[in-house]
Amino acid sequence: MYRRLDKSYKVICNKKISTNYFKLSVKIDESIYKDCLPGRFFMINIPGVFLRRPMSIYHVKNNVLSFLYKVVGKGTKLLSNIKEKTLLNLLGPLGNGYNLKIYKKFNHVLIAGGTGIASISFLITKLKKGILYYGARSKKDLLFLDKFKKNWEVIISTDDGSKGYKGHITDLLSKRIKTEDVLYACGPNLMLENILYIAREKKIKGFISLEERMACGFGNCQGCAIMVNNEIKMVCKDGPIFDIKELYLNYNNSI
Amino acid sequence: MIKPDLSIDFVGIKLKNPILTASGTFGYGYEVADLIPLIKLGGIITKTITLDPHCGNQQPRTSEVLCGLLNSIGLQNIGIRAFVREPLKKLSKIGVPIIISISGSVVKEYVELAKILRDEQNIISAIELNLSCPNLKKMICKDLFLVQDVIESVKILSKVPVIAKLSPVTDIIELALFVQNAGADAITLANTYPAMAIDINSFKFKNPKILLGGVSGPCIKPMAIRCVYDTYKNIKIPIIGCGGIMNGKDVVEFMFAGATIVSVGTASLISPKNLIKILEEFESILTNKNIESVKEIVGICSTI
Repeated sequence: MYRRLDKSYKVICNKKISTNYFKLSVKIDESIYKDCLPGRFFMINIPGVFLRRPMSIYHVKNNVLSFLYKVVGKGTKLLSNIKEKTLLNLLGPLGNGYNLKIYKKFNHVLIAGGTGIASISFLITKLKKGILYYGARSKKDLLFLDKFKKNWEVIISTDDGSKGYKGHITDLLSKRIKTEDVLYACGPNLMLENILYIAREKKIKGFISLEERMACGFGNCQGCAIMVNNEIKMVCKDGPIFDIKELYLNYNNSI
Repeated sequence: MIKPDLSIDFVGIKLKNPILTASGTFGYGYEVADLIPLIKLGGIITKTITLDPHCGNQQPRTSEVLCGLLNSIGLQNIGIRAFVREPLKKLSKIGVPIIISISGSVVKEYVELAKILRDEQNIISAIELNLSCPNLKKMICKDLFLVQDVIESVKILSKVPVIAKLSPVTDIIELALFVQNAGADAITLANTYPAMAIDINSFKFKNPKILLGGVSGPCIKPMAIRCVYDTYKNIKIPIIGCGGIMNGKDVVEFMFAGATIVSVGTASLISPKNLIKILEEFESILTNKNIESVKEIVGICSTI
């Protein structure tokens, strides 16, 4: 078991980076720095809402932990109003993180939908090269396009066609995917379901990051249960990253 | 100022303080051992265990409501046999009294559960019968004949005290008296309130997203306290009070109303540390009021 902390940290930055998108950074303890792996998350205590909110790690460097979020509801709206130097209570890091130990020799194919780019772009920092498929609603929802390393091929789609291919990113993926690819995906359920379907059909290996409503984040409420390989698993504790081959196509209603 | 004596005797169990975890909200207990000193707890009431493993309900299972949590987990658990093999052994090493919450749909299942737990009597302090899960097809405590059968048959087999956890959506005084007469050693008041959430953001004319379940958290606290207060005046057996306890003041309120001890659930889901915070706040309130022993405050609302 690695170290997790339930603690308040000082907010050092909480700024708008694009329409409705914010980057939140806090200064964390050295003891949890090395365990803040891509795919792991924290439960954030937002004053004004009852339950903590899960948020995946976007970046960690020099004891500064960052999250990327989109303002979508009451919780994220309140979070966006939090000022620098405020103390913010977090629990984490939680979850398993992306598995980079197996399929090392495969081509890395990363797929991000919407704010799924947060954990995917963190994962990119740990990999040398590959292809990034990145889908969003429109051009203004595409983030950090200029930041990806040279060795990365970036393929874009938008729902409204304002940049890149018009339509689902998975349409592009299904055309180019090869058996020597390994997939890592994070994004909305519809995208993940499509990826599962494509991977199953073409026998591609990989991992996807699931999102489910959770009250606690550490396995006690059992709110985020799904069926994996005929066993009940918790997205918070056993995931949020799952091996594609173990998931059911309708994992959402699998129990 | 003198530190108050927080220890209390509850149906023969010696508790070092009156604050326990509530069933269904603390897993099998030891999973958060890295986050809080479990040894400080008054006791642990486990999540509800059934005879056979239960996979629980489909998604969605939870929804945040104003000042509360709506859940429909459906008693997901690994079944009693797997539970006594591993989790119970780990729980017994924590060093606090362990109360096992059990549930079944027919008397026979409770009998089997009680038989299996009889072999574990040295490491468990009591059995809590969950007669009030709102997420099953039938709530046991709405069927008085069944309630009587369950309590009587578990009592015959059990060598440890038997506590009945009741639903607040009943005639609570009548039910509590009935449970007392059937032989229960104590009652827990109360389980979650049946409730509903509707997600209008995903609104579709024919298929809006809804969640039916039980609601817990501060939004039910005033009603749960009333349950305790009304019942306390009418029964002789002690009460475990619960429902939306978030701080030390809430514990005092429940005990004033008549709870001998309390259990904390939803607050520990937000942060397990809340259990320790609640305990410390509770102790400091008693200290400031010069209360020598926690026993002094039980039910004082009914003695005025």
